[in-house]
Order: sequence, then C-alpha cells, then structure tokens
Amino acid sequence: MRMLTTSGKGEIRRVLEAIVGPGAVLSDPDELMVYESDGLTLFRALADFVVFPTSAEHVSAIVKLANRENLPFVARGAGTGLSGGCLPTEGGIVISLMRMNRVLEVDYDNQIAVVEPGLVNLHLSLKVGPRGYYYAPDPSSQQACTIGGNIANNSGGPHTLKYGVTTNHVLGLEVVMPDGDIVWLGGKTREACGYDLAGVFVGSEGTFGIATKVVVRILKKPQAVKTVLAVFDEIDRASAAVSAIIGRGLVPAAIEMIDRLTIQAVEDAFNCGYPRDADAVLLIELDGLAVGMEVQAERIVEACRDAGAREIRTAKNEAERQLLWKGRKSAFGAYGRVSPAYMVMDGVIPRTKLPYVLRRVNEIVAAAGLRVGNVFHAGDGNLHPNLLYDPRKPGDEARVVAAGAEIMKVCAEVGGSISGEHGIGLEKSDFMPFIFSAADLALMHRLKNAFNPTGLCNPGKIFPTKKSCVEVGPVAYRPHAIEEKGLAQRF
Amino acid sequence: MPDALLEKLRASVGPPNVLTGIELSPYVVEGRTPEAAVFPGSVEEVAAVIGLAAEAARPVTPWGGGTAASVGMPAARAGLVLGLRRLGRLLEHEPGDLTATIEAGMTVEAFQTALRSRSQWMSLDPADADRATVGGVLATNASGPRRHLYGTARDLLIGVTVVTADGAVVRGGGKVVKNVAGYDLPKLFVGSYGTLGVIVEATVKLRPLPDHERLVCIRFDRLKDAGAAVRSVMASDLIPNAIELLDATVSTTLSATGAALVVGFDGLREQVDWQCSELARLAGACGGQAAHSLQADTWPRLAIAARAAFSVTAAVMTMAILPSQVAEMMERGADVARARGLNTAWAAHAGIGVVRAAIAADVAPREPAAIAAVLAEWREMAHAGGGHATLEWAPLAVKSQVPVWDDPGAAGRIMERIKAQLDPRNIMNPGRFVAGI
Repeated sequence: MRMLTTSGKGEIRRVLEAIVGPGAVLSDPDELMVYESDGLTLFRALADFVVFPTSAEHVSAIVKLANRENLPFVARGAGTGLSGGCLPTEGGIVISLMRMNRVLEVDYDNQIAVVEPGLVNLHLSLKVGPRGYYYAPDPSSQQACTIGGNIANNSGGPHTLKYGVTTNHVLGLEVVMPDGDIVWLGGKTREACGYDLAGVFVGSEGTFGIATKVVVRILKKPQAVKTVLAVFDEIDRASAAVSAIIGRGLVPAAIEMIDRLTIQAVEDAFNCGYPRDADAVLLIELDGLAVGMEVQAERIVEACRDAGAREIRTAKNEAERQLLWKGRKSAFGAYGRVSPAYMVMDGVIPRTKLPYVLRRVNEIVAAAGLRVGNVFHAGDGNLHPNLLYDPRKPGDEARVVAAGAEIMKVCAEVGGSISGEHGIGLEKSDFMPFIFSAADLALMHRLKNAFNPTGLCNPGKIFPTKKSCVEVGPVAYRPHAIEEKGLAQRF
Repeated sequence: MPDALLEKLRASVGPPNVLTGIELSPYVVEGRTPEAAVFPGSVEEVAAVIGLAAEAARPVTPWGGGTAASVGMPAARAGLVLGLRRLGRLLEHEPGDLTATIEAGMTVEAFQTALRSRSQWMSLDPADADRATVGGVLATNASGPRRHLYGTARDLLIGVTVVTADGAVVRGGGKVVKNVAGYDLPKLFVGSYGTLGVIVEATVKLRPLPDHERLVCIRFDRLKDAGAAVRSVMASDLIPNAIELLDATVSTTLSATGAALVVGFDGLREQVDWQCSELARLAGACGGQAAHSLQADTWPRLAIAARAAFSVTAAVMTMAILPSQVAEMMERGADVARARGLNTAWAAHAGIGVVRAAIAADVAPREPAAIAAVLAEWREMAHAGGGHATLEWAPLAVKSQVPVWDDPGAAGRIMERIKAQLDPRNIMNPGRFVAGI
C-alpha cells in the first residue's frame, strides 16, 4: 500500500475514468467527505477515489487496477452499516455499487430473483409484492440499505426469528475476486458443488471480494398476520415472557422488545400509542395460515399473562399493525428527541440470559454516567443497547466506547456473541478475542488468505490489531484518525 | 505402518481403541484397507491422533457411522480411520434457548430421542438416522424430505468445533442463534467431507415439535401432471414441510401405484386438516386421484426411496436442478436409461429441485460402460438446465469412467486454495472430494 503523489493520483483518475466513464469518479476531497463514514459516525476515513461502476466488468477492471497500483479498495452500498465496515481505513478506492441497482430476473415458478448488489433491500419486496412474494430479511434500514451490504454483513432484521438471516436466503453470487477474476459461487440450484463458498462469502464483510450479481430466494407472503403488543411493568417480566413463549413451543415471526426510555422517545416523536408508563413492551408478530392463527395468538397471550403482562393489545387491522411497527422501526430516529447523539450496540446472548444481561447493561451504563435505550430482537437474544451521549461534552465519546466494550464482555461471558447483525468491521475488531481464541482467529486468517492473499480488499477489518494480545499475521496496527485526535481509543 | 507410530497411537487413546489387522474389516472401503482405526475418547485425544498422523504424513479419514463411507473417490493412500464413536454425548440442551450442543459421534436418532423428551427436535431428517452421526451428517451435508421447509445443515449449524490438520482445536460460530462475528466457519465445514478437519462438536438450532404431522400421497397417471400439481402447491398459501415426487417404480415400494406426489404438513391439527383438503383440491385439478394418508414410518423410507427401490443397485446419482424442471428430468432421464436397457427409479424433493435416481443392477450383469454412459447423459441434462450432478454411489469400475463430482469451474481454484491453507500437507481425506481435493 502506498501514498499517492498528486501526479500519480491524476494518472489513476484518468485510468478509472477510462473504465467507468467521466462523471463516475470522485477524487476532490470535498466530494470524498460524503463517503468518509457509514452509519457509525464515530469513525471516519477518507478515500483517494470513489468510483461508480455499472457492471461486473467495470468492477473487475477497477480491482485489477488497484492490484497493479497496490492500492487498497473497498465496496460500499448505501453506507448504512454500523461497524465502519466499508470505511477506506488505509485510503485507496471506494467502489460504490449504487449504480448497479437493477432486478435482473424474477423467476416466480422457482421462487428466485437475480439482482444487482446496489438494489435497495425494500425495492425487491416492492417489485415482487404485486405477485404475492417478498424478500424475507428485513433489516431496520431496509428502506435504504442494499442487498450487497446485507450480504457483506449477513444482515438480519425483526423477522429473522422465524425466517433466518441473509445467508439463509442467498443461493449464489457472481463475485469479483480480490484479484479481479469474475467467479460464480453457488448458483440458482441447491446443493453446492464442493465447499459452500456462497455460504462462506456471505458475512465476510467485503474482505473476500465484491458481489456483482446475487441469486436470492423470494418467499410467498403469509396468508395471515397477527400483531400483539404486550405491556409490562417490569422489564424482567418481559424478558421472562420471551423464554416462556419459546418454551411453549411457539416460534413467532418476530418478538421485539422496547424499553421505557425508548417508549417515551417514540411517543414524544410519533405518538404510536405505546403506554408511556410501561417499563417495557414486547411487540410480537405471528404469521402463516389463517387457520389456527387465533389458537396460536391465544397461546402467546397466555404465555405473556403468565409472565406478568399487565395488558395485551392486538392490532385489529393493518393500520393498527403499521402503527405498532412504526414505533419499533422509528425508534432510532426518535432518540434524537432525547439525546444529541447515540451509539447503537449490537450483541447476542442466549435468550434465557436476557434478564441478567439487561440488568448488567443498565449497571454498566449508569456507572459510566450515561443513559441507555433498549430496542431489540428479543426473540433471537439480539441486543441493541443504544448509548445516549453528547459529543460536545468532553469525555462522553470515550465513555460510550468504554461502556460498549464492557457490554460486549458481558455478552461474551454468558456464551453469546459480540455481533448479531451489524458486523465486526472497524468497531469491534479488537473485541474478537472476547469470543475467539488465537487458533480460531488463525484459521479465519488462513481462510482470508485463500480469498484475499494480498490483503488489498477491505484492509483493517475484522481481525484484532497488533496492539491487542492476539497476533494473527500481517494485520498491522495503525492509529485511526480519530484516535490521533484523541477522540477514541481501541482496546 | 511403523510400529513406533502404532505405539504412540495406543499410548494416546488406550490400546483397546486402536484396531489393526483383521479387526479393520468394517472399515474397508471399496477394497482398500486402512492401516489402523483409532477411536479417541476426547477432543484432546482427537487432536493428539491428528498431530501424530500429521507428523508421520499419514492420511486421516474421519468416520462417524460409516453410512457415507463410499461417497466420493476412495483415499489415494491408505492411512488412519479416525472413528468418533466414543464422542457421543449430548453436552448441553437449554429448551428456552432452542439450541443444543453435542459431540460429533452421537447418532442422529439418539440426539432426536433426547430432544423429543423435551418436545423439541433438530429439523433435519437424513437417511439411516440410527447409524448416521451428527458429525457425519454435517460433513456430508446429508438431509431428508423435510428440508423443503426447514433447510439443510447449513441452516441449522450455529457453532462447530473442529480439529484441523495441524492438530489445533478450532471453534467457529458460537452458541447463539444469530451471530455474525468473524467468518462463517460452520458453513465452510458443512459438506466438506472431512477434507478440512474433523468435526468434533456441534451446536445446532432446534425447533419445537409440532402438535401434528401428516403425510399425504396422491396418485397421478403422468409425472408431468404431478409436476404441474407441485407448481400449483408452491404458488398456493400452503406451507408443506415436504414435497416428494416419486415415479411409478418408487411409489410401488410405498404401496402406491403410478406416479405419486407425497406431501407433508405439520402444525396444529386444524392447520394440517385444512391443508390436506386444500392439497386434494389443488392436486385434483391437475389430475391427481385417491389422496390418502401414509403411515408415519414412511418418512424415513422417503429419504432412501430411490436407492431402496431395487434389491441390487448399480449406481445412484443426485441432480440439483430448478424445481420447475424436475418432472421433465425424471421422465427424460428414465427414457435415456430405458433406451440402453436399464431400469431406473426416481425420487425428488420436488419443491427445491433435488432429484435422486438409481439404476437397477438386477436385470443382468451390466457393462460399466452402459451405466457410465447413462450417468454422463443425466449429468449433461442437469448442466443444460443450469444445475449439476453428483454420483452419490457407484462401484469403482463406474466411478473410474464418470467423475463423482462435477467440475466446480472457476470456484474450484478458490477451493484448492482453501484446502492448501487449511491442510497444506494434504492429510485430511486426500483425493476424495471435488477438484481432486
């Protein structure tokens, strides 16, 4: 990897323009600023170029150029990621896939679609919706995030409890490998021929290459949906209800928890009708056949009442259902009402450990002098504590980062994971030793070497830096810009 | 095998757990006898055995229940069979978490029995569940008819512990149902046929046992009409857990006649009832007749339907194609074989496009060349529709003429690089898998 001179930069810009055409290359620092962060604005890094290819051949040519020039490169979708995964930590080329956003083929008979990576997640469901189909993975950012970004992070969403995450819905991918070769991993049919490379690629956070076409499953929309809001005076009881529902042999499509602070923020902002005095609510959705829906809903209501719910509301029509979901889906926006900034955490725990871990989260946050709002996929045990802070207050950011690390340690201690859907990226690379041994990381590194031997494809992600206790090969620690400014520290 | 190595192996796992000589007969695959069979009693012992094998550059063949021992090419060099039968414990099962962790040598049936006592199950129904081990099922990516709704091992495995070719104990994934930390190592090891390491422990997602389950059989005069019924069911609101399409040869073994569509449903009794009547209506519109329920003991027979159709089988091929092509593949495939005087039996997971065909060996001793020619034509047909084919079982004489595995194309280079990274000395099941891996 190298530093570019002004004349060198001009030459590379000309070559890039020859590949993708004028108007598809940015190199002016003012324009590049737009691409210096993702949804996790704590981290920033400036690219040398942002390029907008429109075909796999474009991407391949850009990647080959980067290899010739020894420049790092990273793919970027809508930039809604929450772990800094698409940041050009070492400069180089950001390959934006936003102009590769077509649905190339929909095969309803075989229930598959072939799409480009820049397609917005929700747009696929909108496209196949009129025929009664949808694309199941539904991250909260689905109105903006892209299928390619979902693949990088193996994104989930509220309904993954029943339907699985991105990897369960991807059959095959056309990939531009880190050396520029175009290769198909998997395809339209089941049963991988050889190793399940499509399965290995999904969730590799852009370090194994760049997907340029994706074959996904589309599902029939369920015949019926029932949405229930269970209200609790104590968050522990809401947590217990989650295990009780699962323990009774029920797997709803979604079980989401929303805590008191979040309820109040949401009510201030959107007036969705959540009870302001509740300690927590569970938003539970059942879907499937119309026959038997009532019986299942009764079982859910019973489980919630037995766990101590004070009130249970059922959406009587689609408008009421949408209103209940609006509170959940707009929670992140609503935090703006109660705090100038917040940091979304993402951790996973066994569902049965929910009461203990939520208590620990509150203790950690209180000890740091911060506030936390919890809105998360309780059915999966996928926590999202949102740490509220004021970036203008000296030391607040550092306290947020430190508290976040403590929370991740708690997740690890109870047998959980440090990420359920946001990825490791830049943010959590130094937390990897919380859950993986040196041998585990060494194997992952060898797998990376098989795909990305030069390391030019999205460097500086996933693996711990040398500053931490684990050494895993040629990943060099270098202070991030934000660390140099003294705004944050890794540990 | 040098005596010194045998002594070290005996010292590692205890003398009674190292078999040699005549004791090796159960582990002879296609006429090839291993040098020894070793049965470690702990993960540490597995690591020690692989360490010794690596040191002596001896190939290692992981061995669960032996139900898939003859899948793939036989080992190029004799070496050690590493048996997992002493690693058969259920380590953890927390019903509220819907997860369980088991040792790889536990049989699928023993695992399911333990789970059933707490009203849960692992939603995977591979053949030979009484002998097949969880580790073996993962390594060979085995599945059964319920994969239509519940997916395969890749969808259930959330954590895996593996001993790699250098004797290191490595964990991938974790114990929680949702996890994106690090690379998805469970996906790497599912279906890797022991070529990257030995699976020693696994954590899987579970499901609650359904209240009710029923299997319905509908007869068709023509496969083509049954294929149309499959499409009609797929486009409906029904949520079947299995959609099997059987030709007349296979359906006879289930006491049916003609082409048969066999569909499974689970859930509340009223849901199962409603779906069964809706199925009869949809299938009837396509020419289906005589819908009736099958006994629950038909389920395990479905998983082996094609290969069990004949008393002696000459070859079994699995084709992965688009679901819409299944009925036609079955008809044309049978025609191709008939033209060469061969009888075949066909069974498909029709909703997902996985077709299995067996060639009978009971008419007369056949020239391997005729069998090989038919298999090659089937593979061509699968390729023409964008799919692929695996020669699941055949004698060596046939395997030497028809490749067991498809050519993985450009992806094969990545697979070779993965193998080189994880097993640089090429001791894990060498030569058995795709692309000579």
